[in-house]
Amino acid sequence: MTTTDEKDLVARCRKGDEDAWRELVDRFGPKVYAISYHFTLKREDAEELSQEIFLKLFENLHRYDGGFPLVAWVLSVSRNLCIDRYRRRKREKSFRFVSDEAVTSLLKSDDDPASMALKKERTQLLFSALAEIPEDLAEILILRDLNGLAYDEIGKALDLPEGTVKSRLFRARAEVARQIRERHESRGTASALASFAMAAAGVA
Amino acid sequence: MSCRELERLFVAGAPAAQIEAHRRSCPQCEVLARDVERVEGLTRGLVAPVWSPLLRQSLLSIPQMTVGCEGAALLLAERAEGEIRPDDAKRLESHLSRCEGCAEAAGVLDSAKELVAPPTPPWLATRLAAVRPETKKRSKWRMFVSGRAFIAYAYAAALAVMLLGWNPTAVVRSPGFARLGVTASQAVTVARSSVGDRLGALNERAARQIAVWKGHLGGYGRAAVANAIGIVWRPETRRAPSKPRLGREKGGADGTDAYTTAGMPSREPFPARFRV
Repeated sequence: MTTTDEKDLVARCRKGDEDAWRELVDRFGPKVYAISYHFTLKREDAEELSQEIFLKLFENLHRYDGGFPLVAWVLSVSRNLCIDRYRRRKREKSFRFVSDEAVTSLLKSDDDPASMALKKERTQLLFSALAEIPEDLAEILILRDLNGLAYDEIGKALDLPEGTVKSRLFRARAEVARQIRERHESRGTASALASFAMAAAGVA
Repeated sequence: MSCRELERLFVAGAPAAQIEAHRRSCPQCEVLARDVERVEGLTRGLVAPVWSPLLRQSLLSIPQMTVGCEGAALLLAERAEGEIRPDDAKRLESHLSRCEGCAEAAGVLDSAKELVAPPTPPWLATRLAAVRPETKKRSKWRMFVSGRAFIAYAYAAALAVMLLGWNPTAVVRSPGFARLGVTASQAVTVARSSVGDRLGALNERAARQIAVWKGHLGGYGRAAVANAIGIVWRPETRRAPSKPRLGREKGGADGTDAYTTAGMPSREPFPARFRV
């Protein structure tokens, strides 16, 4: 869809066209929900946040001028609200604790139970480490590695040059790795070490 | 610590061969590259969470739940006029709870409505009562002597005259009216002569009075001149006072100062030039 089509879609939404609004929701709803979930790691919170994001989108449709892709605009609105929620969650004691249920919905269920358990542990490890790193690095990793957004989309949404996005992504990965390594060294957990090594083997 | 070359190559989008070459030459970057690859491996197998149909339904109903900033401006105007529908009022409230700009605009509009009817200060009623003139009870006869009443009388009289068939021009043509003119001219002549007589008499009296005042002034003038001459042409000899006043009489026959004041130093006689 071109920017002109997107502008037309937004104009129809502003006029109260229900079909246009449905198209917008179906197009961006799953992505917005996924981003919300990665920031909150709770289904109820993610649904509430998604609703909040779409309310904000609907109320600010007149602000979209078609100067850049609609996804970047949706992403910028989503990111602002997600970061607010993320900071609020960061003040809670349970912020660094990642439950089994939180990661279950992020895994394919067709694996055998043993493999599933290992993947759960690895994913919990990833999100625990993400909670430890600065939020400007964590958000880039969430948007790029977990949601598959392009560098230019992230750059437009966050108002950052593409090089800065890449640089932050590299440092985010390095920071997460450092957090996992430090955790291993402090606890000496054999299973965690094994999972991290397994992840590396999977890549190699 | 890494030499940061690996990060530079990653940001620049360098080909894999160049990155591999650097990794082989730099042990720190080799360790870092392995860590980064492990984290990439952790995220690679994850899937996007699935949104529920209920959430989708909820998102589709948003246009019925709230309103955009443009719609809010219209609804605010309707609310200010008191013509907003209940469901629109709910949508507006929902929007105002999230939009600071529109909430501020609504606050200003609400406060403007309050400005229309400010509370009266308690002292104002007292002051107004103090400066308010006392209302006099109008006489019921006043209406019969007002300007409007006289206009009404004139119209009524004219109407009555017309109804009675009386022609005012007949009065001028009547013999009585001619006599009235003669009498009036005679009265004017008499009055004019009377006023002339009175003015003549007044003039005569005034001239007489002026002559009297002139005579008085002439008499006073002549007397004053005579006195002045008498003073200037006073004879040299002086007579002794008829009786002593403060001193003792030492009268000499030669006419010199024979009068001295008691207890007072004697004075020199007046020089000749001062004597008159």
